[in-house]
Amino acid sequence: MRRRDLFKLGGLAALGASTAACGGSGSGSGGDVELQFMYWGSTFEKAAVERMLKQYEQKHPGVRVKPLYTPDEYDVKLNTLVASNRLPDVGYVPLAMSFRLGEQGKLVNLHPYLKKYPQLAGYLPDAYLWTGQDNLHGVATANEIELLWYSKSALAAAGVAPPPADAASAWTWDQLVETAYKLTVDQNGKHPDEPGFDPKQVRQFGISSSITYGAAWYGFLRSNGVDFADEAGKKCLLDTPEAVEVFQNLQDLIYKHRVAPGPGQLAATGDDVPGTNILLKTKRVAMVVDGHWSLLDMNESKVDYGIGVLPKYAEPYTSTQVAGASAVFAGGKHEQEAVELFAFHNDPRYVDLFANGLWMPQEKKYYEDQAAVDSWTKNDLHPPEFRTAVVDYARDHGVPVFGNRVKNMSSISSDVLTPALQEIETGKRPAGEILKAAAPKISSMLQGWQHTQDV
Amino acid sequence: MRRLETRWGILMALPAILGFVIFTIGPMVASAWFSLTDWTIGGSPSFVGLDNYTAMAHDELFWKSLGTTTYYTLGAVPLVLIVSFAVAMLLNEKVRGLAVWRTIFYLPTLVPAIANVVLWIWIFNPDFGLLNSLLRQGGLPGSQWIYAESTAVPSLIIMSTWGFGNTMVIFLAGLQGVPRHLYEAVSIDGGGAWRRFWHVTLPMMTPTIFYNLVVGVVGTFQVFNQAYVMTEGGPNHATLFYVYYLFRKAFTESEMGYASALAWTLFMIIMVVTFLIFRNARRWVYYEMAGAR
Repeated sequence: MRRRDLFKLGGLAALGASTAACGGSGSGSGGDVELQFMYWGSTFEKAAVERMLKQYEQKHPGVRVKPLYTPDEYDVKLNTLVASNRLPDVGYVPLAMSFRLGEQGKLVNLHPYLKKYPQLAGYLPDAYLWTGQDNLHGVATANEIELLWYSKSALAAAGVAPPPADAASAWTWDQLVETAYKLTVDQNGKHPDEPGFDPKQVRQFGISSSITYGAAWYGFLRSNGVDFADEAGKKCLLDTPEAVEVFQNLQDLIYKHRVAPGPGQLAATGDDVPGTNILLKTKRVAMVVDGHWSLLDMNESKVDYGIGVLPKYAEPYTSTQVAGASAVFAGGKHEQEAVELFAFHNDPRYVDLFANGLWMPQEKKYYEDQAAVDSWTKNDLHPPEFRTAVVDYARDHGVPVFGNRVKNMSSISSDVLTPALQEIETGKRPAGEILKAAAPKISSMLQGWQHTQDV
Repeated sequence: MRRLETRWGILMALPAILGFVIFTIGPMVASAWFSLTDWTIGGSPSFVGLDNYTAMAHDELFWKSLGTTTYYTLGAVPLVLIVSFAVAMLLNEKVRGLAVWRTIFYLPTLVPAIANVVLWIWIFNPDFGLLNSLLRQGGLPGSQWIYAESTAVPSLIIMSTWGFGNTMVIFLAGLQGVPRHLYEAVSIDGGGAWRRFWHVTLPMMTPTIFYNLVVGVVGTFQVFNQAYVMTEGGPNHATLFYVYYLFRKAFTESEMGYASALAWTLFMIIMVVTFLIFRNARRWVYYEMAGAR
C-alpha cells in the first residue's frame, strides 16, 4: 500500500494529498509549475471550481493547479496546514481567520499587485480585506447577499402574492408574518391561527430565517436603525430596544406565531439542515432567508423558486459580502503565478461561476454598466426578477456583514454570541433578557472595527 | 542464536516502540512545552510560564466545560455500569441461543462512532425521531432532547448506554470466574437468588466493577464525538464538554498554547480522580487472592 493511500485511510486525505503534492512540486522538472488551490463548497460548487481551474490551466500552459476540495472543517484543516507549514498557494480562507493569518504574515500583500491587475482595483470597497495601512491580505471571494427565496407552487397553492422583488416595495415585518401564517400547514391541513393546529406535526413551515447565522439577521438589524457595535467598535449594541425587537420578532416566528421551525425541526440528520433548494423543493418550508449562492443549487436541482427582497423595518437593507476570503498564501515557490491564479479565479470574464449563479461579481461595473450586468445575469439560470431583487438590491441596499469587520469576531462568536443566539432559538427566555446579559460580555471582548481604506 | 533472537525481537517490536515514541511521547513532550507558551497557530511561540494555567481560573468556559463533563461522567458511568452488569448477568444464564444474544448485545459497540452519532441524531429528532414517535404513540409528551439546554446532557447520557458492549463483555468474563462452590454454599444455607447476588456475585465482582469504573471515568472525561458531531457544544454551551472546548480553542481559535494547557490540566484531573478511586477502592474491592499480592 502506498503512503498516500495509508493517509487516506486515516481520514487525512487532505493532509496526505498536500504532502504528496508538495513532494511533486519540489522535484518538478522542465519548468513545470504546480499550484494548489484549496476551497470549500457544495458538490455543484466543487465541479464549477474544477472547471475554472481547468480553464486556467488551458490559458497558462506549463502551470498545473491541484484542487484541494475541503468541504468540512475547513478552518481545522487549514490551521493544521499552517501549523505544519504545508500551505496551499491560493485558496479560500474563513474570513475571521484571514485577518489573523494576515497579521502573522502568512498571506501575500496584494496591494502592490493592484496596478498589474486592474480588475482587482475596481472592486466594491467592502470587498477588500486590510490587515493594516496598505496591507491588503485578501478579498472576499465573491459578493453574496441575503435574499428571501420562496417556492412558487407553495405560494400559489396558498393563494398568496409572492414577496416583492424590489426594495422599494419590500414587505414590512407584519406582512411577512401574515403571509407566513397562510403558508404554514400541519399534517391535517390546519394553519397556526386555526383551532386544533398541531405545532409538533407541521407539514409545511411558512418561513425559515436563521437566528444563529449573523448574515441572515444583520440586514434586519440595520433596517431597524441599529448596528452590531457602535462607531468605535467597542460597545455592543445588541441590547438596544431596536435590536431586541428584531430578535424578539425572530423568536416569535417559532414560538408565538409557530410559522417557523425551531431547533432540530428541519434537520434530516441532526445539525445538517438540508439546503434551501431541498427545503423549497420538498415544500418543507415555503419561504427561506438565505444567501444568493443558493441559486446554483436551485437551478441544479430544478426547484420552482422565486426571489424576493427581505422584509424591512425602516430603510430596506440586506447583508452583503457574506462570503469567505480568498487569498494568496505566503512562502510559496511561485508567488507570481499564484497571484495570477488569484486574479483569475474570480474574474467573471473567465469564470462561469457568476453566470451559473454561485457568485456575484466584486467589480463595481457588473452592477452599474448595462452590458456588464447582462454578461452575467442574462441567461436561463437568472430569473427575470434577478435584476431588481439582487443586482439593484445589492448595489443600493447592501450593508457589509458585521462578521467580516469586527475584530476578535471568532472568539466573540464561539464564546458569547452563538450561545446567546442559540438560547434565543430555544425559546426558554425572551430575547431581550438574553441579549441584555450577552451584550456587555461582547463589549468586553470588542477590539474595534477592522482597518478600511481606499484602494 | 540468542543474540539473533534479541535482535529480531527488538526489530519486531520496533513499529510499536516507534509509534509510541513518535506519536505519543513526542506530542506529549511538545504539548507540555506549548502549554508554557502563547503559541497561536501561524505565529511564533514565546515562553509565558504558567500564565495559561492561571488564565484558566478566570475562564468562565473552562469551568463551564469542566462542570458539564463532570455532570456527564456522573450520569453516564454509573448508568453504563448498571446496564452492562445487568445484561451480563442475563447473558450468563443458560438460555437458548446464548451466542446469538451475546452477539446482538455486543453489536452496537461495533458501529463506528460517527455512524452511531448520526443514528442517534435521528433517534432524538423532535419531530419524527424514534423516541418522540414512541412517546407520542404512548400518549406522552415528547422532549426536545439534544435541542434544549436542560435535556441535552441527559440525552447524551442515555445515548452513552448504547455502547455498553465492551463493559458487558468484561463483566461477563468476571461472572464466569465466580467460583460455583460459593453459590452452592448459599443454596445449602437456604439463600435465594437475591442472597446469591448480594453475598456472592457482587463481592466477587468488585474487582471487575472497579476496573470498569476506572476505565469508564477516564473515557467519559474525554467525551468528544457527541459534542463535535451532534451539538457543537450547544445549545448555549449546554454540551460544551472539556475536550470539545479544548479542540475548539486549538483548531478554530488557533490558541495552541492555551489548548495544550487545557489538555495537561485534564490529564492531571483524570490522574487525581483515578488516584482517589484507587484509594477509595481499598474499602470496597475484594480480592480473593489479596494475601498473595
